[in-house]
Amino acid sequence: MSNRRSFLRGASILMGHAAFGQVMTAFAAAPRKATFFTDTEMQTLRALVDVILPATDSPAASAADTHYFIDLAIPACASVAAQKTFREGLKTLGKKRFAILAPPEQVVQLKARAAVDMEPPYDQSFFKILKDYTLTGYFLSEVGATQALAYERVPGGFQGDLPLKANQKAWAI
Amino acid sequence: MATNNQFDAIVVGSGMSGGWAAKELTEKGLKTLVLERGRDIRHVTDYTTALKDPWQLPHNNRPTNADRAAQPIQSTLYLYDQSTKQHFVNDLRHPYAQEQPFNWYRGYHVGGRSLMWARHVFRYSDLDFTANQREGVGIDWPIRYADIAPWYEHIERFIGASGENSGLPQLPEQVLQPPFEMNALEKHIRSHMAEKFGGERKLICSATAVLSREHNGRGPCQGRNQCARGCPFSAYFSSNGVTLPAAAATGNLTLQPDAVVHSLIYDEGKNRVTGVRVVDANTRKTTEYFAKVVFLCASALNSTALLLNTRSARFPNGLGNDSDELGHNLMDHHNGGGATASYSGLSDRYYRGRRATSMYIPRFRNVGKREDKFMRGYGYEVYTSRGSWTRGIGSADFGADFKNEITRPGEWNLYMEGYGETLPYHDNRMWLSPDKVDSWDMPIIQLSMTYRDNERAMAQQMMDDAVEMMQAAKLENVSGFNNPVTPGSVIHEMGTARMGRDPKTSVLNAYNQVHSVPNVFVTDGSCMVSSPTQNPSLTYMALTARAANHAVELLKRGEL
Repeated sequence: MSNRRSFLRGASILMGHAAFGQVMTAFAAAPRKATFFTDTEMQTLRALVDVILPATDSPAASAADTHYFIDLAIPACASVAAQKTFREGLKTLGKKRFAILAPPEQVVQLKARAAVDMEPPYDQSFFKILKDYTLTGYFLSEVGATQALAYERVPGGFQGDLPLKANQKAWAI
Repeated sequence: MATNNQFDAIVVGSGMSGGWAAKELTEKGLKTLVLERGRDIRHVTDYTTALKDPWQLPHNNRPTNADRAAQPIQSTLYLYDQSTKQHFVNDLRHPYAQEQPFNWYRGYHVGGRSLMWARHVFRYSDLDFTANQREGVGIDWPIRYADIAPWYEHIERFIGASGENSGLPQLPEQVLQPPFEMNALEKHIRSHMAEKFGGERKLICSATAVLSREHNGRGPCQGRNQCARGCPFSAYFSSNGVTLPAAAATGNLTLQPDAVVHSLIYDEGKNRVTGVRVVDANTRKTTEYFAKVVFLCASALNSTALLLNTRSARFPNGLGNDSDELGHNLMDHHNGGGATASYSGLSDRYYRGRRATSMYIPRFRNVGKREDKFMRGYGYEVYTSRGSWTRGIGSADFGADFKNEITRPGEWNLYMEGYGETLPYHDNRMWLSPDKVDSWDMPIIQLSMTYRDNERAMAQQMMDDAVEMMQAAKLENVSGFNNPVTPGSVIHEMGTARMGRDPKTSVLNAYNQVHSVPNVFVTDGSCMVSSPTQNPSLTYMALTARAANHAVELLKRGEL
C-alpha cells in the first residue's frame, strides 16, 4: 500500500509542476514548419526516414514527425561539419529526385549511398548521421517508444529473469 | 534562531559528507549552519525532469552544441543529458586550471554530488587500512577497521542499502536489504565463475544505496534507473532526500544556499577558527558567520582550497599546513581496463524494469599472495543487457525487415570495467593560482595529477583478467580494452588533506581534526590516506558521523 501511496505522491507533485504543463502545451501546439532545412530538403528527408523505418505493425517514421525532429536536432546538436555533410547528402539525393522515386528505386539509391558511407570513417558520413538521427527521433518519440517498442515510465521495480514472450517488443530505454 | 550570525557549528557543503555532519550535529542538539555555495534543490519538488519521457525532453534527451559550450567538461560525463544537465556546474563560471589533464565533475547545489552519484557503497577492510604501512607507501592510516566498523553500520542502517554480501574478508559484511535480481546472463556468468574460480572470484550484486524494500517511508526503487534526475520515490540515498530532512526535523538546522565560503576566520591568540567568511553567490556581498566548531565537507578539492586560502602569520601556507602536505597526495581511481562480450544463447530470457545498479566482482589481486607486477588491486563493475534499437545505427541495413529486427531484443551484451586503487604520490597535487581568481574572489584551483607505473601495470592485468573471466564464462566476442584514463574521471578525487598520527606528515588526526587547530574538522574525500579499490562515499559518511560525534563529546568536555 505504501508503495502505491508514495508513488502517487511523487507523481502528483511532479505532474503538478508548472513546467510539465507548459511542455505538453508546447508539444500540442508545435507548428509543423521546418526551421532549418528547405522545403525540398524536407521532402527528401521525409522520404528517407520512411525508407529507413517504413510502416509495419507500427507507424512509419514520418507519422511520428521524425523528419521534423531531425530539422530541429541537426542544427542544435550536430557539429558544424556534420551539418554540412548532412545537408550536402540531402542535396545530392534531392538532385536525383529521391522523394518521388518509386520505392524500389529509393532502396537502390540509399543502398548505394550506404555502401559508400560504410567505408571508414563511417562515423562522419551522411548515412551514419541519417541513421543516428532517424532512429533517435523515431524510437524516442511517443509513437516509436510505445508502439514500435515497449516503454514504461515507471516500471514499478525490477524483474531480472523473465521468459521472452512470442513477438515481445524490446524496451525503448 | 541564532543571533549575530553565531551558531554552535558550521558545516561547509551539503553533499554526501555535509548532510551527515548536519544530521549528527543537529541531532546532538547543536545549532548548526549548513553553507552551500549553490542554489537550493528541494527534494522531489525541484526534480523538474524526473518523470519526463524521452520525447518530452529537448531533442529526445540529446545534449546540444550550446550545452557542450557552457559545460565542456561536464558534458563529457556518461550521465550528462537533457534530463541531468541542470545538476552539473557551468564550467565557464567555475574555472580551474589543468596543469595536467583533469576532469573535475561537480554539482554546485544543495545535495552536491549525492544527487547524481553512482550509489555503490562498500566497506573498506583492514587489508586497505594497513596497506600503506605494510608496503611502505605514503603514511599509515591512523585508524583500523575496528574504529570505523560501528560507524559503517550506523550509516547503512539509516541510508538503506541493498545488495549481496560477498563473504570475502576483503569486502566486510554489511547491513543490506535483499539484492536486486540477476538477469539470465548474469546467473550464467556467476555459475561458470564459481566452477572455474571456486570462491576466489565471484559475481555478486553490488551493495548500492538503492532500496529494494521500503525503508523509513522511502522507496522501494521503481526500476526507472534515472536516479541522477532526482528520485520522486526517495529510493536512493541523497542528502536532499534523507540526511538534510532529518537534520531539519530537529529544529536545529539553518540551511543557507548561495553561500560561497571564501576562507576561515582564524584567531591566533586562541588558536581556534572562530567562523567563516561567506560571499553571496548572487550579490557578492560578504558576511561572516561564527561557531565553536567548523566542519569542512565541501568535497576534497574545495575543502583543501579553503584551508589553503586561509593564511596568517602562524599559517603562511594555509591553515593547518605545518606538514606542507596540504594539497598533495591527490588520488582518484582508474578504470581503463576491462572487456566487452556478447552471448547468443539465453535468447528466450528477458527482464522488466531498469535496474539502478551493476553487478560486481570483488577484488582478488594482492589479497592472499603478493603480485609481482603491482601493489593493491581492483574490483569490477559489470553491466549486461540485451541489444536495443541503438544497434541499428551502426548497420548498413534499413527497411521493414530491419525495423522488425531492431524492435526485438538483440543478443546479450556485456561491458565490464575494473576500478583500481591509485597510490598516493606526493607530487600529484592541487594548489591555488597565485594570480587568477573566480567571480567570488576565490583563487582558482590548479591541478596536476598523473597515473604511474603501478597503475599502468594494474590496468593491463585488469584487462587480462576481465578477458579470462568472460572466456571462462563461455561468452562470445570477448574483447579486452585498456584505455588511457584522464584523472578525475572516476569522480573519486581524494587525499589532499590526509589523516595521520604525526602532524609532521599529515594534516588531520584520527578524528579528522586539523592537528594544529582542533576545532576544524575535514571529513570529505580530502582526508583519505590511501584510495582502496572500493567506492569511497560510504567511508566519507562513516568518518563524518564518527568525527561529528567526537566533536560533540569534546564540546561537552569543554575541550574545543
